[in-house]
Amino acid sequence: MEKDFIVRTKNVDFFYGAFRALSDVTVDFEKNKVTALIGPSGCGKSTLLRLLNRMNDLIDGTRVEGEILLEGRNIYAPDVDPVEIRQRIGMVFQKPNPFPKSIYNNITYAPKLSGIVDSEEIEALVEESLRQAVLWDEVKDILTKSAMTLSGGQQQRLCIARALAMKPDVILMDEPSSALDPISTAKIEELIDTLKKHYTIIIVTHNMQQAARISEYTGFFYLGKLIEFNATEKIFTNPDVKQTEDYITGRFG
Amino acid sequence: MKNRKHSLTKHTKEIAIRNLFGFFAFLSVLLFGLILVFLFREGLPLFKQISVTDFLFGTAWYPTYEPPEYGIWPLIVGSLAVTFFACLIAVPLGILSAVYIAEIAPGGIKEILKSVIELLAGLPSVVLGFFGMVIVGPWLQETFDLPTGLNIMNAAVMLAIMAIPTISSISEDALYAVPREFKEASYALGATKYETIIRVIIPAALSGISTAVILGMARAIGETMVVLMVAGGAAAIPESIFDAVRPMTASIAAEMGEAPFRSGHYHALFATGIVLFVITLAFNLIADYISNRFRETGSGTL
Repeated sequence: MEKDFIVRTKNVDFFYGAFRALSDVTVDFEKNKVTALIGPSGCGKSTLLRLLNRMNDLIDGTRVEGEILLEGRNIYAPDVDPVEIRQRIGMVFQKPNPFPKSIYNNITYAPKLSGIVDSEEIEALVEESLRQAVLWDEVKDILTKSAMTLSGGQQQRLCIARALAMKPDVILMDEPSSALDPISTAKIEELIDTLKKHYTIIIVTHNMQQAARISEYTGFFYLGKLIEFNATEKIFTNPDVKQTEDYITGRFG
Repeated sequence: MKNRKHSLTKHTKEIAIRNLFGFFAFLSVLLFGLILVFLFREGLPLFKQISVTDFLFGTAWYPTYEPPEYGIWPLIVGSLAVTFFACLIAVPLGILSAVYIAEIAPGGIKEILKSVIELLAGLPSVVLGFFGMVIVGPWLQETFDLPTGLNIMNAAVMLAIMAIPTISSISEDALYAVPREFKEASYALGATKYETIIRVIIPAALSGISTAVILGMARAIGETMVVLMVAGGAAAIPESIFDAVRPMTASIAAEMGEAPFRSGHYHALFATGIVLFVITLAFNLIADYISNRFRETGSGTL
């Protein structure tokens, strides 16, 4: 069966000023699968993630070489609008970062930007997104309350719902549960499992068990290089590269 | 034994230093209290002669006539009018320049703008007043064909120039204090820079910006030299923004030297000072209330 790759990177180098954060990263992300990126701190996994929706554009003095393709189109081509890319590739951050607005207005933020004005359509979208993020039952009676009153785990699911309301194809998650307690983490992992039916998920995680539990593919990064990319099962049982094995068995990092 | 002695002197020293700092901290409170007592002691005797209502809402200010009239309503209106129009100019300019400096301007321009606005804050008010008198006044008079260029309009422009640095720098701090996470979230949801500024950054900084505006207003209403020089000095209720007025501060500054010690006029000027004090105190309390309220609820449901 021919695999359907939604995002591919080709020989990507990335520089913060003179510092080379990524070198020659080539990796393909399969559609509607969960791909985990692991590696020690500073290995470049988060940098790669933030390259995929052009978030690194916001940092001065950075430079990208190579190609990153979303459905065959280079997202760093001069005629591409980063806003359009970010609408198709949602992102969930390490620290839950809901806006200091009501729960309802958090969800409607992106749809309103993209010009949806019909109030019934927006209401339906709010319910749908919150249901998808398994938050609806907890917040349906307090939609007008500030998102800041929710717990950390609820805030993170709200952030996921907020990204889903944009109807993206890909969702990037940058250590989404590292600031959460174990129960909230379990909920996020369950959620990722249901979301992959409709979305491609790329997740950066420090937690190797988490990568093993939730992902189909895993990429191991070390010092800005992609050391190994393989099916998760293979990476965690019988990796091809010695360095991967050393990292997974806890010999460094 | 030697060690113990050493630690004892150290302890004494600690106490001495703590008390010294405490003394200096309370010194300003003490001074403020004394000034307040003085203000009320010199101002309140006026109300043996006239009622508070006649004082506040009386429309005639003829302190040197026989019998004198101490109605400060025209002075209050004068102060409020110049402050209101100054804010009309200074609030948008101050906030917009803060947004530009904090969010938009590239490095070099940002530094230049910041220092220029700080310089503006350091401009002596008498210099601004002089500028208003000899440049803006004649220009207004000629352009609008007025009997005098020293009026509400002129004072408002000058006060605005004084209030802009206050509003701008406090707003700027509020904008910087907006967490980076909010901005990233907004960009990641497909917002442009301007959408992010308008929908996320400014609302999140609103409490700080409101405080900035109110402190800017307090600055304008308490300013003396500029209004003394360019507001025109007429103690009458104005009918247009090209009328001359005599704000409370200008009145106190201009007349105090001529008012006989402990005369009715003298007490009336101190009572005017009390009114001014109450107004600026109210501004400060409002600013404090707003910044606390918004802080507690994390900007709430904006």
